[in-house]
Amino acid sequence: MSDFDVEFIDRGDREARFLVRDVTPAFANGVRRAMLADVPTMSIDAVRVVENSSVMFDEMIGLRLGLVPLTTPPGEFEIGDTVTLALDVQGPATAYSGDLVSSDGMVEPADENVPIIDLKEDQRLEVEADAVYDTGKEHAKHQGGVAIGYRNLQRAEVVGERDEFADDDPEIVRGVIEDDGELVPAEAFDNDLRNRYPDSEVRVEDVPNAFVFDVETDGSMSVEELVLAAVDTLYDRADELEEAVQL
Amino acid sequence: MMVPVRCFTCGKVVGEHWEEFKDRAAEGEEDPAAVLDDLGIERACCRRMLVSHKDLVDVVSPYQ
Repeated sequence: MSDFDVEFIDRGDREARFLVRDVTPAFANGVRRAMLADVPTMSIDAVRVVENSSVMFDEMIGLRLGLVPLTTPPGEFEIGDTVTLALDVQGPATAYSGDLVSSDGMVEPADENVPIIDLKEDQRLEVEADAVYDTGKEHAKHQGGVAIGYRNLQRAEVVGERDEFADDDPEIVRGVIEDDGELVPAEAFDNDLRNRYPDSEVRVEDVPNAFVFDVETDGSMSVEELVLAAVDTLYDRADELEEAVQL
Repeated sequence: MMVPVRCFTCGKVVGEHWEEFKDRAAEGEEDPAAVLDDLGIERACCRRMLVSHKDLVDVVSPYQ
């Protein structure tokens, strides 16, 4: 197992940005795709409606419940495992995702304040729902990652004085730049290189095989758990291939 | 009808921010752009989910 050179730029529970060096673009994209499609999460998949006198059809309620992210500790479940949740709200009130009662303490709604349906006088919503452990490949509601992307690290290098009569156009860069080994997010200088290097001519070029990942999760797991689980699925696939081609 | 649970494009959960956005910007006095920034809704795809939303449950419920 080779080591990766990883450096965090921003680090939060649900959002992070980190730099990975010495990986090929193909591998970087493989990790991104694994985070979206191959890391399983719990999500409500089947709903038994006991009573629904709200203004929405059962199917619409089912769709909304399915999209609520549920916390999923990695390594605790197998694909296809189910956990039952129940929701019982009597109007006048709003049914929130936080009203879901789970039969398993590990699987709880990650966000408590998602409105499911607004109930008026004498309306009631009582459902039993089965959450299923599956991958984003099966249905987008199982995706743990949200809007995951990566871009090349860029190196900024001062190559001389700025021409006195140079055009006063903005020099926009996005992502993260490397300046003498220091990593600077482009937002720090409002994405305009002129703010950081007022009187110099700067050359910006991509650093080969260094990628800055932007990872955000829907709350079903932390960024760290998501990235590690994604890389593990890649290893599992490689092992599977190795086994398949053996004589 | 009800606010969408997630952003149609990227999948971020936006529903949980609707009530605060409604109180502060849609029916309040604050600048919607500033409120969205404050709520951490940065991408244009997620912002349009709240900016363009209209609650219709109150309109529909009498005809139930």
